[in-house]
Amino acid sequence: MNDFAIEMSGVSKRYRFFSLEDIRLNVPEGQIMGLIGPNGAGKSTTIRILLGLVHQDEGEVRVLNRRMPAEQIGAKWDIGFASEDMRLYESMTLDWHMRFIRSIYPGWDAPYAQLLLKRFGLRAEQKIKGLSHGQRVKATLLLVLARRPKLLVLDEPTTGLDPVARHEILRELTSVMADEGRSILFSSHHTQDVEQISDRITFIDRGRILDSMDKEVYLDRWRRLRLETPAGVELPALPGIIGVRQEGRLAVATANAFIPDLVGAYESAGARVQRVESMTLEEIFVANVEYSREREEVQA
Amino acid sequence: MRGSVVGQLILKDWVLYRTQLLLMIAGGAIGLAVVLRGGQGPFTIGAVAFFVAMVLVAHMLPMAGIVNERKNKNLAFLMSLPISSTQYTTSKLISTFGLFLISWLTLVAAAVVLIETRGMAPRGFIPMLLILALLPFVGFCLMTSAALVGETEGWAIAANVACSSSYGLIWTYMVQVPALTANAAGPVPVWNSTVLRILGVELGLIVLILALTYYLQSRKRDFI
Repeated sequence: MNDFAIEMSGVSKRYRFFSLEDIRLNVPEGQIMGLIGPNGAGKSTTIRILLGLVHQDEGEVRVLNRRMPAEQIGAKWDIGFASEDMRLYESMTLDWHMRFIRSIYPGWDAPYAQLLLKRFGLRAEQKIKGLSHGQRVKATLLLVLARRPKLLVLDEPTTGLDPVARHEILRELTSVMADEGRSILFSSHHTQDVEQISDRITFIDRGRILDSMDKEVYLDRWRRLRLETPAGVELPALPGIIGVRQEGRLAVATANAFIPDLVGAYESAGARVQRVESMTLEEIFVANVEYSREREEVQA
Repeated sequence: MRGSVVGQLILKDWVLYRTQLLLMIAGGAIGLAVVLRGGQGPFTIGAVAFFVAMVLVAHMLPMAGIVNERKNKNLAFLMSLPISSTQYTTSKLISTFGLFLISWLTLVAAAVVLIETRGMAPRGFIPMLLILALLPFVGFCLMTSAALVGETEGWAIAANVACSSSYGLIWTYMVQVPALTANAAGPVPVWNSTVLRILGVELGLIVLILALTYYLQSRKRDFI
């Protein structure tokens, strides 16, 4: 036994025009991991491998201490999975879906399902085809949450939702985590949603994990330095600075391992540090992806 | 009540498709009722309605139960349940096969009973009836296989078109085979070697297609 809900090591999957390379991802029990990547980065493929729906070419995958895909049936009893491209049966009611799921899962929590119906403003007797997109997402989440799974895997669950619906769903996910034994893997390209609820963040791009660490560590380490460079002053290459954008006498340096000494180092070189700014997760994500792609092009 | 997950999936398909199925059985039954009116005209019209109902069931089940489930993105919902891809295949084969068998057996049994008890057609026609009725059965298996293994609507439509265009040709050929037609108007069913050989080929094809489907599905590494 160990303390990880998800463990992926050295996982690769190759398609004709896309490959997932050497994926290493650990989600500790009781934590929310945000998986952020642009469209086509490999988030959904990673999640499908986790669920045993796609078999990896190489590497080890363990979910809730079960080897995937070999032990996927046992693992899926305790996994709640919802994805943006998952649809319920249009011609049937939400109540029919609830009865269907209840007939499978012995742990179905009927009072909680009723509570979620109220909180999400859903009517059990309504047919799925009569629901809006937001209501459909909420209905799917209701079916997942009322099973009381140990691990929630959510693939872009908030895509296409209005701000109110997104807020309701994120609030519910946060309240689910009141039970400390639960873990969530939450994939999205909406960094605001991920930032709001995640403990840890993993960035993925072009089939590779770029970085994976605590959210607070990201927010602490990444900074933007606004500099003024008098004529004739050349900015030095400093460790922890991953990029400098120069426009006339003004420059913006991005740090992925900020320490206060960087300010002194620039000033010693003759530059004037106007401001040191914190970065949002979205800005960190974009900077990270750009830096990684530039490095990839240089290496190529 | 809580059964196995595969059992619940089979039950789900029954609930989802029973109405269409019953409507099609009713269509076939109406065809038989028309044949009972007697005369060449009603016989032709009724027989066509009977076989059209059978063909519709054979084509509807794989399209609605497998192709549309994938196209409408219900498959991701099902595969989030504690089942493997092999169990999904098992549930689909049992449910579609079972639903088809219900309608096929109902229609064929009704036709045989009406021949035996009401003289709807000569008793010698029974072997020909079975041979003709087994053809949509083979078509059903082919389309189910294409829908499951091919995974795309294109494959299912291709199988659909291939089967639909073959029925007429094969039926036309069958009713011209002397070993089949010679006894069709007779008072007793004659199970000669030609009849048995054709029935054997049809049944063999059904078993072969189903086994091949299972084998190909079990070798898949990416299911969704």
